[in-house]
Amino acid sequence: MPDHIRRLRDTLRTRFGGPSESDVVVGAPGSIQLRNVTAGYGSTPVFSRFDLHIDPGEFVYLVGPSGSGKSTLLKVLFGTVRADEGWVNVDGIAVHRLQHWQTDTIRRRVGCVFQTYELLSHLTALENVLLPLQLAHPRTRHARNLATEALELVGLRDKLHALPPTLSGGQQQRVAVARAIAHQPRVLLADEPTGNVDKDASAEIMELFGQLNEHLGSTIVMATHDEYVLSRYPARAVRLQTPILEVVAS
Amino acid sequence: MSVRRRRLRRLVPTWIWAPRYAFHVVLYAMRCWRGRAVAWMATAVAVGAVLSLAAGSELFLVLSERSLNQQVRSASELQVFLADDAPQTQVDQLKAKIARMRGIRSVTFRSKAEALALARQDSTLANIADTTPANPFPASLVVDLDDPSAAGGVADLAATDPATDHDVPASYTPAQGRRLSAFLSMAQAVVVGVAVAALAVASLVALVLLRSEIRARRTELRILTLVGTPRPVIRFPVFMEAVALAIAGSVVAALTLSYVGDHVVPAVNQYLPFLQLGSAADAVQVISLSTLASSVLALGVCSLLVRLPR
Repeated sequence: MPDHIRRLRDTLRTRFGGPSESDVVVGAPGSIQLRNVTAGYGSTPVFSRFDLHIDPGEFVYLVGPSGSGKSTLLKVLFGTVRADEGWVNVDGIAVHRLQHWQTDTIRRRVGCVFQTYELLSHLTALENVLLPLQLAHPRTRHARNLATEALELVGLRDKLHALPPTLSGGQQQRVAVARAIAHQPRVLLADEPTGNVDKDASAEIMELFGQLNEHLGSTIVMATHDEYVLSRYPARAVRLQTPILEVVAS
Repeated sequence: MSVRRRRLRRLVPTWIWAPRYAFHVVLYAMRCWRGRAVAWMATAVAVGAVLSLAAGSELFLVLSERSLNQQVRSASELQVFLADDAPQTQVDQLKAKIARMRGIRSVTFRSKAEALALARQDSTLANIADTTPANPFPASLVVDLDDPSAAGGVADLAATDPATDHDVPASYTPAQGRRLSAFLSMAQAVVVGVAVAALAVASLVALVLLRSEIRARRTELRILTLVGTPRPVIRFPVFMEAVALAIAGSVVAALTLSYVGDHVVPAVNQYLPFLQLGSAADAVQVISLSTLASSVLALGVCSLLVRLPR
């Protein structure tokens, strides 16, 4: 195929769907690899020359004190913060090579639960879950069924048409979880998903993540400092220390 | 299910997703709008007020320029006074010479009797016409000028031609003609300059309003980028809103202009007759349409240039 045709096809793919060929590197679907990664804000790196390998279907905790870089690491994986140096591969996509206008590629592919929920207050719970399915995945059929199923899974069957401001913190977090898992991603990133909810809601969310990990084989990376979760649901933990990142497997 | 039907079902999603996707994007834009209708209305009224001010000042400038143009046009009627004893052949030759010059629309002969009749209609000359036993008004060639600067050439020709009155050969001096022409050009340039400045200021204010609207939607746009919405899709509601703002603002401006054209301009004509603004109907239509086109273009382009969160 001539080069200019390949470039045009890559551009169209990037704009309307999947990543271009040049962005896909060798790596198993659902795996996460970081090599020699330095990232931070401005001139101050939060971590430098960091390596990490997560196999497909693995459940990994990112633990460490506040400011140790848990959220920044998730942002690097999600393409919100660009690595200054190194190589980041998430679910077969070279995230470090994506330009800022191409980051929607990785965000459509990976599910993410944010610490602050990030729900649109003028849309109902169902519309919030539907939004990425309809706007970010134009070819997704039965989007409404998927969104309803995801909300039922997180126990919000009776809150489909409720607006986020009328829901409790825990319920909002569950809507955010439903949005992240609705398209059944191979990789799920979660930033303190149990940070603002009570023990029962935490248990529900962790059960859900467990099911996703076990039955669908999704890779889950979860930042947390919730000791209850760590002790009740043991898994490999990557411990981050300030200022130099240090990896401790447990 | 038949093979044909299965094939059909497999084919459908490959082409149906585009209109369905567009429908969802439009639906989302509508939902966004529904959530902030009151704030949007306030912004639309503000944009309308700014556009009304700009369009109103433009209307008065256009009417003033038109009035000035008419006055200059009436002043561009030049008379070449003929000597009482000038033979008809010389008069005809002079008339032909003037008609051949550049910037001349027409040349007509006005006899002494016609000049007297006209003088009787003019309040400033009527007294002379009635009290003087002999007709003191000379016959003349009435020259209608396309370009007032051509008056100089006609005046020069009249000064040397044997058929003209040697004491006062023309009603106009070359210097007067040049001054009129320069004044008209300057007035037109001022009108264009002020109109462009008014539109620029209106666009700038509307842009500031649009930016503050987008700043208020920062959280929403950030969430849209976080859930992986393609950037053109994020821009679409912003673009739609900008265009809708421009249209709503232009409608407000058009209504204001229509009111000004129907009530304010006639009142000005009545109380300040020397301004001679005339009818505003055609100018209102043109300015309303140009305000709509320019505001849609300016706000639409600006909305596409606004930086989105990463």
